[in-house]
Amino acid sequence: MTIHCNTPSFCSFELCGQKVSATPCLAYDRGVLWLEGIGCLRHGCDVLEGVTLGVSGGELVVVEGSQASGKSTLLEVAAAARLPERGAVWFAGRNTATLQRASLPFVRRNIGYYTADATLVGEDSALANVMSALAVRGEPLGAAEAGARDALALLRAQELADRQVASLSSGQRRLVALARALAGPPPLVVADEPAALLGDEARALVISALATARDAGAAVLAATADCAWANALVAAGGRRIHLAEGHIVGAPAVGLVPALTVTDGREEQPPRSLSLETDAGEPAVRTEGAKGPR
Amino acid sequence: MSLAWTARNVRRQVEAHPRIVLGTSAAFCLLALVAGGATLGARTVNRWGAFVGQNVHVIAYLADDVDQERALGLAEILGRAPTVARVTVVEPAQALARLGAMALSLASDARPLEGLEPAYFPRSLEISLAPAGDLTRHANDLAKRLRAVPGVAEVDAMTGGLARLAVWVKLGRVIGLAILVALGLVALLALVTVFLRTRGTVAERAAVLAQLGETPAAIRLPSSLWTAMAAFAGGGTGALVLSLAWRPVLAHLEDNLGIVSAHPSPLLASAEIVAGLAFMIAAGLAMGYFATPLPPTSDHA
Repeated sequence: MTIHCNTPSFCSFELCGQKVSATPCLAYDRGVLWLEGIGCLRHGCDVLEGVTLGVSGGELVVVEGSQASGKSTLLEVAAAARLPERGAVWFAGRNTATLQRASLPFVRRNIGYYTADATLVGEDSALANVMSALAVRGEPLGAAEAGARDALALLRAQELADRQVASLSSGQRRLVALARALAGPPPLVVADEPAALLGDEARALVISALATARDAGAAVLAATADCAWANALVAAGGRRIHLAEGHIVGAPAVGLVPALTVTDGREEQPPRSLSLETDAGEPAVRTEGAKGPR
Repeated sequence: MSLAWTARNVRRQVEAHPRIVLGTSAAFCLLALVAGGATLGARTVNRWGAFVGQNVHVIAYLADDVDQERALGLAEILGRAPTVARVTVVEPAQALARLGAMALSLASDARPLEGLEPAYFPRSLEISLAPAGDLTRHANDLAKRLRAVPGVAEVDAMTGGLARLAVWVKLGRVIGLAILVALGLVALLALVTVFLRTRGTVAERAAVLAQLGETPAAIRLPSSLWTAMAAFAGGGTGALVLSLAWRPVLAHLEDNLGIVSAHPSPLLASAEIVAGLAFMIAAGLAMGYFATPLPPTSDHA
């Protein structure tokens, strides 16, 4: 089965050799993040092509894919760390691709972005590093410190608060960087391989922390090449998206679609999961996961 | 970013890099010393020029038949020349008295002069030239014209002494300029060094803040503030040192050189100090601003 979802207003699905076209209803909500027909090049080669993906507030989406499938590039685009060559990035209802460059910082400050090689200020304490994300958003010092301590506690890294980042191990630094991305939490959390190179206990903590951010209303987009960890995220209520060779495959990338108008005239309104039926009345496509464990 | 957060960032950067902050202050202090020293040095050269101008450059010995009245008339005519600053008539008795005083100061013994009569000494005109770049040429020109004046028996242009003085003044200017240029280069080198060191230390922080969504202006503000404060502290120290030390050092130097000037020692005016400090603050702000490297705001990676 292949699914092409190129625009928010038109989707075509090929189900069991039968082509089904669907049009979302007019009340479609683009949510916190809406990536539309994203295409990206790296060294002249396509790494993403026609990717459309939406993440709403209070939703956890896990992008699973093998190495070089385009996950990191997709997350860079989602985090406004790079602009796509093609397509539009809607963040909180605004197309960031049309914003002036001077406006991009105001988008970025509302996105908690974590990568495995996230840069921290080595001469500052872990607490100051986490606080900086909140301070940039305009939080007063006291609130920023409290929020930073909460974020560190979420990952059980509160004992690192007063330690200089330069003295931390690489694993501890990753926890601090993740705490910085989750502090607040911001409207959108984008985490690229947040559990990589962490122990089992820390991986479980990361899942818990991402779910907590989701429960606090943040839109959470995480990427991993680890199938088992992706399963654990799905078990925690995440929606799984498969990415292969720069395309989304296997499931529609649109999660919280309140209504779909199928070309044959029938409508369905699934509450949290999307379910389409073939002409034979069999369920054909189901997005995995909804809020909370299934 | 709130004011409190900016202040906290400034404090943290100062605490994390005290050497760079001190180096920045020292560089700006040196810059203030060089700039202020150059200003005061130029004023001192003018002051010494005035002192040199007080000396006698040309002596015209008058013939025996020239009486005091005619000597005064000649002095008045000469005093109108633009290159002449002052003309003094020296009577024979004054000349003898001066010789006696000089003998006492040099040999502590004026007995060899006993028996000399003032009549042995001619009446003379002591001429001081107006300050000029080439006193030797002016003195020679004046001497040539004086020799043609009736009643003038002999003219001493004292060109040997003037030439030596001119050489010393020129040498002093070259040495002073060389010292200033060297100190200026040292100050410039120090500023470039602290600029590069500052750039190295704030690069990581700037990259992190840019990634977190801080605006370029807010990223640059803390480093601009602390470099401005360091520049103000350094410039203020330099101005204070010049204010306190210039006069004693100059007085010591002039004592050794035997320069006695009627003009007071030069000092920097309050307005000059305020203007200099304002420049230092602006330079510090600019240094911190440009020393903060910003990653590209957004691009196709």
